[in-house]
Amino acid sequence: MNSAPKDFLDIASFSKEDLTSFLDNTMQMKEIFTRSVKKVPTLRGRTVLMLFYENSTRTSTSFEIAAKRLSADVTNFDVPRSSVQKGESVKDTIDTLEAMRCDYVVVRHPMPGFAKNLAGLTNMSVINAGDGQHAHPTQALLDAHTIREVHPELEKKKVLIIGDVLHSRVARSTSRILDKLGAEVAFLGPGSLVPKHSKFSRFTNYEEAIAWKPDVVYLLRVQMERQTAPFFPSTAEYHNLYGITRERLAYLSDHGIYLMHPGPFNRGVEICDEAVDYERSLINKQVENGVAARMSVLYALKPQTSSFIIE
Amino acid sequence: MKILIKNAQICSEKEVSSPCDVFVDNGIIEEVGQKLSAPSDARVIDGKGKLLMPAMFDTHVHFREPGQTHKEDIQSGSEAAINGGITGIVMMPNTCPAIDSPTIVRDLLDKAKQVSRINVYTSGCVSKGRKGKELAAIHGMKEEGVLMLTDDGDTLDDPSLYKKAMEYATEFGMFFASHCETPCLSGPRAMNEGKKSYELGIEGSPAISEEICMDRDIRLAHATGAHLHIQHVSSGIGVKTIKFWKEMGARVTAEVCPHHLIFNEGDIGDYDTNFKMNPPLRTAEDNAMLLQGLKDDIFDIISTDHAPHTDFEKKSVDFISAPNGITGLETALVSLYHAFVKKGDLDWPLVVRKFSAEPRRMMQLPPVPIEKGGAAEFLLFDPESQTTFTKEFFQSKSINSPYIDQTLDGEIQLVLLGDEVLLERGV
Repeated sequence: MNSAPKDFLDIASFSKEDLTSFLDNTMQMKEIFTRSVKKVPTLRGRTVLMLFYENSTRTSTSFEIAAKRLSADVTNFDVPRSSVQKGESVKDTIDTLEAMRCDYVVVRHPMPGFAKNLAGLTNMSVINAGDGQHAHPTQALLDAHTIREVHPELEKKKVLIIGDVLHSRVARSTSRILDKLGAEVAFLGPGSLVPKHSKFSRFTNYEEAIAWKPDVVYLLRVQMERQTAPFFPSTAEYHNLYGITRERLAYLSDHGIYLMHPGPFNRGVEICDEAVDYERSLINKQVENGVAARMSVLYALKPQTSSFIIE
Repeated sequence: MKILIKNAQICSEKEVSSPCDVFVDNGIIEEVGQKLSAPSDARVIDGKGKLLMPAMFDTHVHFREPGQTHKEDIQSGSEAAINGGITGIVMMPNTCPAIDSPTIVRDLLDKAKQVSRINVYTSGCVSKGRKGKELAAIHGMKEEGVLMLTDDGDTLDDPSLYKKAMEYATEFGMFFASHCETPCLSGPRAMNEGKKSYELGIEGSPAISEEICMDRDIRLAHATGAHLHIQHVSSGIGVKTIKFWKEMGARVTAEVCPHHLIFNEGDIGDYDTNFKMNPPLRTAEDNAMLLQGLKDDIFDIISTDHAPHTDFEKKSVDFISAPNGITGLETALVSLYHAFVKKGDLDWPLVVRKFSAEPRRMMQLPPVPIEKGGAAEFLLFDPESQTTFTKEFFQSKSINSPYIDQTLDGEIQLVLLGDEVLLERGV
């Protein structure tokens, strides 16, 4: 990277070279995990603020571990969930946070563009941990790294993303990073849940999609809370049409196809029981790599806060 | 006051004249001709290379009075209109409280007489409080001067109530204006459904949301014999819908806003709320179809949908939560010149017809051509000069304009209404 970026908001803001550099750093960060003392002093004296307006255990924990392995202090800004509402002033929030003299803020918010808004109003480095349906760029980074571990050359590798692409920030960010790195991406899912306006091709049934010979099948979580709005008739029908059934798993196994899922998964909906323990499942790898990818991001950013300017 | 404008080209609905002189005395155009000599007490303005045209008229503005005067009020809105060469406006009734009774109409128009230097008219609500449940005081408002009935900002959801309103009010010579939208299809009403909404992760409002309602409302008007005006059309297929119904003999008119002609969803970029309005910006294809619709007379008038919101409201929240609307009074004419007239895509007579004469006719007012014996209500436009839309330039209380800090070709240098020079710069 020519100059250290202040924020990490979405994949679109970075070039292929920038992203490759984040990925190379991720690999180095992972090396730290093999040490007996899994900690380096890089961010000693820095404070990372966790600002989560949506429930999250996996992502917030992953960020917290990442920050701590870099020796940063981590504080959770407890957002009363009940006060999360439409039209909340970002400015008011940020004034409060600025006063606490933190250096990094990791934010998750239900409204798309929230992280971007925040970044424009603060000297702190803003890391987007998910803004509505828009972006989840650290997930994209960890996904790309996970695929690189099994397919070091991403160029022309085929990734089939299955599920609720329309509402998924993971699908948006991960498809974008894979595309930038030269991999091929295609979508499969119910017509009501796959966008018509994306640049990626879309398959309408599983057989057609698998005949495309993907190297990786990436499953998205079926968001059960969306089932109040009838995007498809039932989870059983979804499982039959788009789920990884036992038979489909056997095919993946025979053809050496890897399986990914951002978690948490719904057994019996997008994935059958057996698939969880599939030998080419990368699901646990994704979790492990999440910490390294987030360390790589924290390491690369340069806040404009006073402590950094004094330095 | 006597004014002699020398060597300006005069724009009418039909043509742009060769340079000539216009002499105004006491608010009346006394003479139009070559080499007029000025009385010694007349002010002489050099109009060489410039265009003299009837002042514009905007049938769709939000002056936020009563209730939201931190965004705009009748006085600031009127000054904004003058700054954009507009000397007559029709206010929309989506205020707090809504303009739905003769009392409110009278209060506002009385106030306008005191604070505004232009001609202020107001529309009135179709339904009481814009709630879509019962009819507003339609005839009472008519007595106070209301002609246009609209629940603008929202659709009147109940077609049976709309049908009754049309049957009732048409008898009084009133007409209707529809903001066309099918709410259950529109999601959070933030932007067009398409490539850009997917990219930004926002549930879009598809063009069919507008088109279905437009078709519904025109059918109601056609069945009842009402005159229906379709507001701020943003969809290309919408243009075809209006064309179809005009050919069927429906009493339908329509307006298009400069921003829907000039911008599309791509301009939203990274959540820029100065490109957020409802109906939303759609695609480049829609831009082209709207422009063609204007040339083909499917659109009868140009309006701005001037919708001021404070910087805080527009900028301090996320894109979906930010209010819809942009200001337009001060930028409309210059933007039309910059985007279309300069390049030959539109001509001045069309602009005069659609943005000055036809809107006045729709409001049952006489147009204000620059002719001997007519009342003076015109502007002087310099195509060789430029306008920079700085924060200081804007007379509106709000600066939510896509043109903020941009420089466009063309400048309005003089606005005259009757015996008063309303605006003067660079002459």
